[in-house]
Amino acid sequence: MNTAVTTRATTGSPTAVPLGRRVLDAGPVLALVLLVVVFSLATSRFFTLPNAASIANQAAILLVLATGATFVILLGGVDLSIEGVMATSSLVTVLLAANDRNGNHLGYVAVLVGTAVGALFGLVNGLLHTRLKIPSFMVTLGTGAIGIGIATVLFGGQPPQLLDDGLRAWGTERIAGMPRLVIIAVAVLALGYLIQKFTRIGRYILVIGGDEQIARLAGVSVARYKLYAFVLAGTASGLAGAMASTQLGVGDVQVGSGQLFATITAVVVGGTALTGGRGGVPQTLVGVLLISVLANGLILVGIDPSIQRSVQGVVIVAAIAATAWTQRHRLRVIK
Amino acid sequence: MTGPLETGAPVLELRGVTKRFPGVVALDDVSIEVRPHEVVGLIGENGAGKSTLLKILSGVYQQDEGELLVRGAPARFRGPRDAARAGIGTVHQEQSLVGSVSVAENLLLGAEGRSVRGGFYRWSDLNARARAQLAKIGSAISPTARVNTLTFAQRQMIEVVKAISVEDLPDRTVDAEPVVVFDEPTSVLAGEDLETLFAQIERLRTRASIIFVSHRLDEVLRISDRVYVLKDGRCVAEREPGAVDTQELYRLMVGRASTGQYYREDEQGTFDSTTADADEVLGADGLSLRGRFADVSFSVRRGEVLGIAGVLGSGREDLCRAIFGAEPLDGGELRVGGKRVRFRTPADAVRAGVGYVPAERRFEGVAMGMSVAENILLADSSAVSAGPFAVPSKRAALVKQWIERLRVRTPDPGTDVATLSGGNQQKVVLAKWLSSPRLRVLVLDHPTRGLDVGAKEDVYRFVREMCGQGLAIVLLSDTLEETIALSHRVLVMRDGRVAAHFDAAPGAKPTQVDLVEQMV
Amino acid sequence: MMSTPTRRSRLRHRWARRSRVGLACVGLLGLLAAGCSSASQDSASQKGPANPKDLVLVQAIRSLSNPYHAEWAKGGEMFAASVGMPVQTLTDEGDSQRQLTQIKQVLASGKTVVLNADPNTTSDTQAIVRAVQDAGGFVVSQWNKPNGLTPEQVGNSWVAHIGFDGNTGGYQTAKALFAAMNNTGGIIALQGILDDVPAKERFAGLQKAIAETPGVQLLDQQTAHWTRNEAFQVTQTLLAKHAGQVKGVWAANDDMALGAIQALRAVGLAGKVPIVGASDAVPEALQDIQAGDTGYVATVSTDAYWQGGAGLALAYQAATGKFDVATASPASRSFYGKEFLVTKANVADFLKTPTPTDLAPDFANPQARNVGPLQ
Repeated sequence: MNTAVTTRATTGSPTAVPLGRRVLDAGPVLALVLLVVVFSLATSRFFTLPNAASIANQAAILLVLATGATFVILLGGVDLSIEGVMATSSLVTVLLAANDRNGNHLGYVAVLVGTAVGALFGLVNGLLHTRLKIPSFMVTLGTGAIGIGIATVLFGGQPPQLLDDGLRAWGTERIAGMPRLVIIAVAVLALGYLIQKFTRIGRYILVIGGDEQIARLAGVSVARYKLYAFVLAGTASGLAGAMASTQLGVGDVQVGSGQLFATITAVVVGGTALTGGRGGVPQTLVGVLLISVLANGLILVGIDPSIQRSVQGVVIVAAIAATAWTQRHRLRVIK
Repeated sequence: MTGPLETGAPVLELRGVTKRFPGVVALDDVSIEVRPHEVVGLIGENGAGKSTLLKILSGVYQQDEGELLVRGAPARFRGPRDAARAGIGTVHQEQSLVGSVSVAENLLLGAEGRSVRGGFYRWSDLNARARAQLAKIGSAISPTARVNTLTFAQRQMIEVVKAISVEDLPDRTVDAEPVVVFDEPTSVLAGEDLETLFAQIERLRTRASIIFVSHRLDEVLRISDRVYVLKDGRCVAEREPGAVDTQELYRLMVGRASTGQYYREDEQGTFDSTTADADEVLGADGLSLRGRFADVSFSVRRGEVLGIAGVLGSGREDLCRAIFGAEPLDGGELRVGGKRVRFRTPADAVRAGVGYVPAERRFEGVAMGMSVAENILLADSSAVSAGPFAVPSKRAALVKQWIERLRVRTPDPGTDVATLSGGNQQKVVLAKWLSSPRLRVLVLDHPTRGLDVGAKEDVYRFVREMCGQGLAIVLLSDTLEETIALSHRVLVMRDGRVAAHFDAAPGAKPTQVDLVEQMV
Repeated sequence: MMSTPTRRSRLRHRWARRSRVGLACVGLLGLLAAGCSSASQDSASQKGPANPKDLVLVQAIRSLSNPYHAEWAKGGEMFAASVGMPVQTLTDEGDSQRQLTQIKQVLASGKTVVLNADPNTTSDTQAIVRAVQDAGGFVVSQWNKPNGLTPEQVGNSWVAHIGFDGNTGGYQTAKALFAAMNNTGGIIALQGILDDVPAKERFAGLQKAIAETPGVQLLDQQTAHWTRNEAFQVTQTLLAKHAGQVKGVWAANDDMALGAIQALRAVGLAGKVPIVGASDAVPEALQDIQAGDTGYVATVSTDAYWQGGAGLALAYQAATGKFDVATASPASRSFYGKEFLVTKANVADFLKTPTPTDLAPDFANPQARNVGPLQ
């Protein structure tokens, strides 16, 4: 510990962080670049504008979900209710917009209501977690199941068809070559970044995730900000459910199937630690792109479908091991 | 709001403050005062009451009796914020900064005020305010730097700035210069960093009053205007640096006749130095772990107790964890029973016959929620197993044997260990290791911490018994008295190295002063 | 820090220990009692056909949130209404453990269980039928069962297993697809969960059709795990990968086909590229086939109403003695049910919900659609 304080103090530079650590922090970005290079070399169809649009389209809904989930994971919690919230929001949105089951035609308001439903779920999650002190994974597991249940009741055995052409257009059409849903996703990403960097909600969520005790002692209302994080995540899930419905043209209980795993993986692979306090929205973007590029590339290259899952698994484990490398020591408790 | 004072009258005063915890009186009728622009030093052994005193000053605890007066007016702190608003800022021993956000955010956490409008951060404003505060101690650390990219010394600077900034709190109750408390700030500093800290304190003194708590007596003498000595919860002396030397300070800190009976010194065996090597159970040559300790060598024989003394930062805790395989070793050779060993994990150490009784028994010693019997058999059930199966009758017999030998007071071997008293829990931890037939070396890390007198006596009894049966023990103790009395040999560590090696045969024991001289 | 336990707390400990032991004893006795009662029930079933009053009708399906199983459930309800009894519907949401637990719970209720089950996976069938055998109930299973296992091996409680030849379905829909493509061009295939027997059979049927049609090539095949949203994403990627070359889409079930249609729509190909789903005949697919402008050409119906109704009817007949399981031939206990290729020509028939009158003949003779023994 013989650093010359005077000279370092002048610059306050991050040279205090060892080079190895900084390489690993940049791990996900490097992995993404590596994947892009490998796939571009392997097949000529990868690095084309239509394929980029295709990747972007598939990443859109995932990006919205992952941005919301980032806030909860930054706190050190987790939101497992994603698929259930998407299901309810999907049904609500379609049943309120022009559909083949009833006479509603609320148009964009339907999307707003669907998103609001997601926010409501988030509120319930947050309240149960902070007031009743139930761990977040248990609360959200429960509310997720409730979401599926509500959606099943609304479903009534057959998916209601979305007949509103304006809304359908959002799911299928493009503006200047970019699918419209991608534009929404980018807007959500920007909003998420804004919240994280410039608002008290975002900054306090980082503080609480970094050290909750210190936050509490400094007079921060920890419960309130935890609540905000869950509401953000729930709202994102609600919006994602509506988005998926415009894409598929139906309200469906299964509209979010597979998204929970993809979301958490994207956030963690991007570099946001599950223990909280590290990472953020930009990292999540990298994680989402990683997952989407990987899935897309494997299909383009023609990898046998039966081993695609295994390959994805290997890449994901490798990425997470790399980011966790700096944290390992013998007596650390891993759960 | 209280205004400025007439010169000379105390800025901060404790009168007859007493604080009790179940089973122990942490502070007993302590009176201390701090005058304007003064640096007051506070010294005392572990357990003397220093940290309790500081926690009362910083609002974490409330006193049971006595008064706390800030600028002559009685004050009652219900929490850390109240203390901060009264102008008392603490630079903590454990860091109180959040690594995931910037310097400015840490400095102004909870007190952002007008720098956050409508939920939005006005970064230029926040950073400017932070820069102004950093300038108070002349630091040029960038307010936008994220705290977990800073070095330890830099972070401590930020802590100092944070402590001083109590004077800028918008809702402060005392409109005057702050009182800044430094809690063991130098334990991990050296060289230039140390000088910088002292320079800061000198600069600070012109606009604040300071309390400086440290183990390093020479530093305390250097920087303080007056020194208080705490011992066993009482304030036993007040001296001016010019009128006292370190020797006398040591005596004031630790002076007490040790009662040999208490530690059963008559049961301590003697060793013939010529047979030393043949009987070595645990040996070390040049052990080192970068950043913690270097070039540590010792030898422990069958039936011997090796005590290791040292202050926080001396490396003794890390050394013991390395012996047990919980920390890696960068260099040197470790031997168990004469054979070279390399432990990759604690499991390796257990297999080689090394046991470890940790300081934090609640987290690392007993498995709460499991029964007494299960805990006892946790480390090594080889004695009661036939292959992969446990033999129930043997299990019950072994557990019963240990409960009796150690006099563990439990209604039933099946009782949840969490319901036992601290002393009995500690005995269960001991039984866990002692019940293993493979055990050759036992590392005791603060084994009597938090135990009442009766439980301590029981522990001492065992240590003697176990030695009698050939077990070797490495002992880290809270008090020098315990270390000296129980050990056959004492190693003193300082700043990661072995500073001295004492023989402690009964009748020829070193004094505490001898040890402390080498420790600090 | 606690002091030495007082007499009171020691007593409490002793009571706690005793009550724990006590509870264990009670639990043990309870288990014995249950065991005895089910054993006696088993011997009761050996005696002869059960009284309808002692029967409970049950159907076990994946979930009510897909139209196929919703129709199955309705079929079962229609049959139950025809004999004046209620029917209990168990949904497992794709969770094998849950399905088995639910069935065991019903079996433990004490009455004779008449069960029509769609086991979640091939490996679950054995556990289910054995549980029913042990409890002395009657079960008809459909779709998935392990290859070497037959009802005769397990006992008289496993009344029958009804399978559907995926080969035929896959083959016939493929042929219909190629016809709509004028038998030339490249196609992409969306498979179900690769491990599932129906997925493998249907894909084999497709491959056979391709082998017979030299003008058609299989450009690519991927799995979309039976789900609509995955099919959407995969199809998007495949359409980009083989831009301009995809002249037809074959999907192993309707849900995936419906997802693929949206992907086609997103690139303006809806209605221009024919598409088929090799199974399920969900109402959405039927409507698309009827409308004719979406490109949906064909699907296959196993008639979910029949599966739900006649399957339960067969189990009921075994329970009431009308169908003598002991003397029944193997061909009547393991057989293929009839499948129907649905195209624009006959889709109207499948769009209507059958009435109880329509189904009555099948309730009376569930074996009517037995098209041959299982291979």
